[in-house]
Amino acid sequence: MTVLARACAVSRSFGSFLAVDRVDLEVEQGEVVGLLGANGAGKTTVIRLLLGLLAPNLGEVALFGEPPSARTRRRLGYVPQGLGLYDDLTPAENLHFARSVFGTNIGGQDVVVADSRLTVGELPLGRQRQAAFTEALDHDPDLLVLDEPTSGVSPLAAARLWETIRDATDAGAGALVTTHNLEEAEQCDRLVVMAGGRVVAAGTVDHIVGRARSVVVDADEWTAAFAALQRAGIRAALVGTTLRIPSSTATVVRGALGGIGARLQEVPATLEERFLELVAPSAGGSDT
Amino acid sequence: MNSMERTRGEPAVLAMVVKELRQLKRDRRTLAMMVFLPVLLIVVFGYAASFTVTKIPTTVVGPDAPAVAAHLPPPFSLSRVLAHGTEAEAVAVLRDGDTPAAVFAARAQTRVLLDGSSLFTAQAALRSLARLEGSGHVGLRPVVQVLFNPGLKTSDVMVPGLAALILLFIGTVITSLGVVRERQSGTLEQLAVMPLRPTDVYLGKIAPYFAVGVLDMVIVVAAGVGLFGVPFAGSIALFALGAVLFLFVALGVGVLISSLSQNQGQAIQLALMVLLPQIMLSGLIFPLSSMAPGVRWIGYVLPLTYFVEIARGVMLRGAPIGALWRPLLYLALLGAVVVGLATLRFRRMLSPAHPRRRSDRTSVPKPAT
Amino acid sequence: MSWGVSEVGVRFGRVRALDGVSMDVADGQVTAVVGGDGSGKSTLLHVIVGLLDANVGEVRRPPPHQVGYSAAGSGIYPDLSVEENLLFSAAAYGLSPADARARAEPFLDRMDLTGARHRLGGQLSGGMRQKLGVVRAMLHRPALLVLDEPTTGIDPVSRADAWWLISLAAAEGAAVVLATTYVEEAQRAASVLLLENGRVLASGPPADIVEGLPGEVRSLSSRPPAGEAARSWRRGRSWRLWSPEREPSQVDEGEPVVPDLNDAVVVASLRRDLAEPSGAE
Repeated sequence: MTVLARACAVSRSFGSFLAVDRVDLEVEQGEVVGLLGANGAGKTTVIRLLLGLLAPNLGEVALFGEPPSARTRRRLGYVPQGLGLYDDLTPAENLHFARSVFGTNIGGQDVVVADSRLTVGELPLGRQRQAAFTEALDHDPDLLVLDEPTSGVSPLAAARLWETIRDATDAGAGALVTTHNLEEAEQCDRLVVMAGGRVVAAGTVDHIVGRARSVVVDADEWTAAFAALQRAGIRAALVGTTLRIPSSTATVVRGALGGIGARLQEVPATLEERFLELVAPSAGGSDT
Repeated sequence: MNSMERTRGEPAVLAMVVKELRQLKRDRRTLAMMVFLPVLLIVVFGYAASFTVTKIPTTVVGPDAPAVAAHLPPPFSLSRVLAHGTEAEAVAVLRDGDTPAAVFAARAQTRVLLDGSSLFTAQAALRSLARLEGSGHVGLRPVVQVLFNPGLKTSDVMVPGLAALILLFIGTVITSLGVVRERQSGTLEQLAVMPLRPTDVYLGKIAPYFAVGVLDMVIVVAAGVGLFGVPFAGSIALFALGAVLFLFVALGVGVLISSLSQNQGQAIQLALMVLLPQIMLSGLIFPLSSMAPGVRWIGYVLPLTYFVEIARGVMLRGAPIGALWRPLLYLALLGAVVVGLATLRFRRMLSPAHPRRRSDRTSVPKPAT
Repeated sequence: MSWGVSEVGVRFGRVRALDGVSMDVADGQVTAVVGGDGSGKSTLLHVIVGLLDANVGEVRRPPPHQVGYSAAGSGIYPDLSVEENLLFSAAAYGLSPADARARAEPFLDRMDLTGARHRLGGQLSGGMRQKLGVVRAMLHRPALLVLDEPTTGIDPVSRADAWWLISLAAAEGAAVVLATTYVEEAQRAASVLLLENGRVLASGPPADIVEGLPGEVRSLSSRPPAGEAARSWRRGRSWRLWSPEREPSQVDEGEPVVPDLNDAVVVASLRRDLAEPSGAE
């Protein structure tokens, strides 16, 4: 398996602020890697290091086996959060412009887009994203870098977008996806979780969740239970008419509930709950 | 796998040009400006921009009026004869702005009275009179007197105009920006849901701009009077009345502009297209009498024209309300129409939309990251 | 009486934004309206809140001062500070500044916004702004709290904070209506309304929707045959295939899976597409 992009123990500071601290990251052919982290965790800086837009203070970055350069960047397909398309041009016009400016795929097949007379701004979000992907894939990139590729669209539309991404990776490309959306994260082959500039977890979803447990409280009167937990400084999340308390045990919760009638159950944590535990240890569970 | 070499195809520069043109053809407001501005400038500089006065309407007053009237030399053109009028009445003619020149014809002395607040007309009159004298025309040696701005100072004439301009600017441009800001930040919907009466929102939104407009104008007038010695000959109450009526018109236009704009950029474009013609064609800079008739009518439609007239009349000539009732009435009527329209449109932005009128509140930004 | 809408239809010219939509929202519960972009979620919320009159149908809502609304995009003034934003809203709803501060204090505190109270709305991060929007909407303890995509696009920590606020509102007895594109979030609601192209595809508690999924869902490790493309979709590295009847499908590879809400939502969309082919989203 060829490694398409690799960051090896990279660090980067801005003045006295250490934005990235000894981070390892790899994307191989055929896989989709998800990069997660809270705001300010350093995800954007890592991406910019990989793309060669920033130089690391320590460590090494390799893109297609060599240090990043304008030449290696041509083998990338990048779709930012804002899609990078002109709202007042049609998808075909956008593609035409991109091809001319980047000098790629001139005379390539004209993309057939339904409703091709609508400008990007007039298209629904799903088709906007589809247009952005088409443009990014137009020059057969070896590595895709995507920022929240399926945010805001329905599950079926998201699945269709993932098909496009997976078709590319099945054909040998690799994909690095940054996301805040944990549903999206679960579509990736493996994840890298960052907090405070460091990698705090890496691996498959199952690996990351590991044996983290949450407590489900099925109370006769959930509002009373919620209030009781509040008073004890335990943050509970409402699910239907039950409550979920991450990073806690049945004993602690039972104690906090006092005499309130409820059935407790310890269950595996969700990726989100585990993620919160990793990036903001004080946010989940008890915060006294 | 990738074409790293540029294959045939247009240079990137051309692609950029093509892209810009495509975007431009869809931006209707900018296109409108691209057409509108040159047309405006051509009209202004072709037909309107002139300080040359070719005709000076004159009222001839006094016992010898008919005789003088019969021999009135160009550029003076006879407007009216008051055979039994007194000199005081001649002065009143000027003060009321009926004509910019009056001749008091009496055996003992013929006086030519010129209205200094019509600066270019007065200057043209003086030049003509000097020429006439020099050429030995007519034995009469009239005494020439320039009333109201006898020093023919440009600043005296401009300061009232400035006061008008400030009201216009604040009422139209600034107000439209303030209201559009609500739309742009996506908070208009929130306002519409809150238990606020549309009137509260409307008045609350506009009142600050009204106050600022009045304050700014007062400052300019005070500075003009205090620092530059511009006279304030007339009634403050009358001036205030004119100012308030004009401000209503300006505010109404500002709100209308904002109801037609999705963001501040668009509002500015529209405001500009409303402001520029008024600055050029309202008599603020170029006198209306110098404009070709085919273009002059535009000036008579613009609200700024009328407040400039009121401001100059009150400040420089002390004109009474009886002389200014026409511009005041025009402003009042226009104000009623414009403010009425603006109120309707504003209320529509805040009340439940009917599906057919969806566009009243759109421009909700996509959820932000 | 519960709030909600009955058989509501909205037409913009020739476009049907909503068609025959009914939804009941109960007190002390969260009702999620799920759908992609263009599904009609915002339109439905506008109707409930009174920003838009429906062409047909009935709307039940409390009087304006008992409604709390957060528009898509937080509805926070970018040029007012955190505190000024809250105080303006409080004044509009008749809360005294003292009451407003007392009410907002614990919220801002829990979400690390206290230190930012003088920061301008436009200077807040997306997550903080959205959280503030929720606080603003529930400040006056509305009986009906309507939130349009309060958590779209923000980081998970802020999203968890926002959900805590929502839970709190429900605990205080409000009927909470939430528009979202996240199935995961819908899963946490007591009741879900699934919208696509203005129509209701499914509604009810999440568990009921999943159980009501007809047929069977299988997971395949390689691409299903072309003939089944309309009933299959990608999930992670594998594919999912839906068979309408509970009989062995023509393809006898793959394992049947226990469907989750995501599957149920996708299948509901697929069924609609198969029944009435229309432009894909």
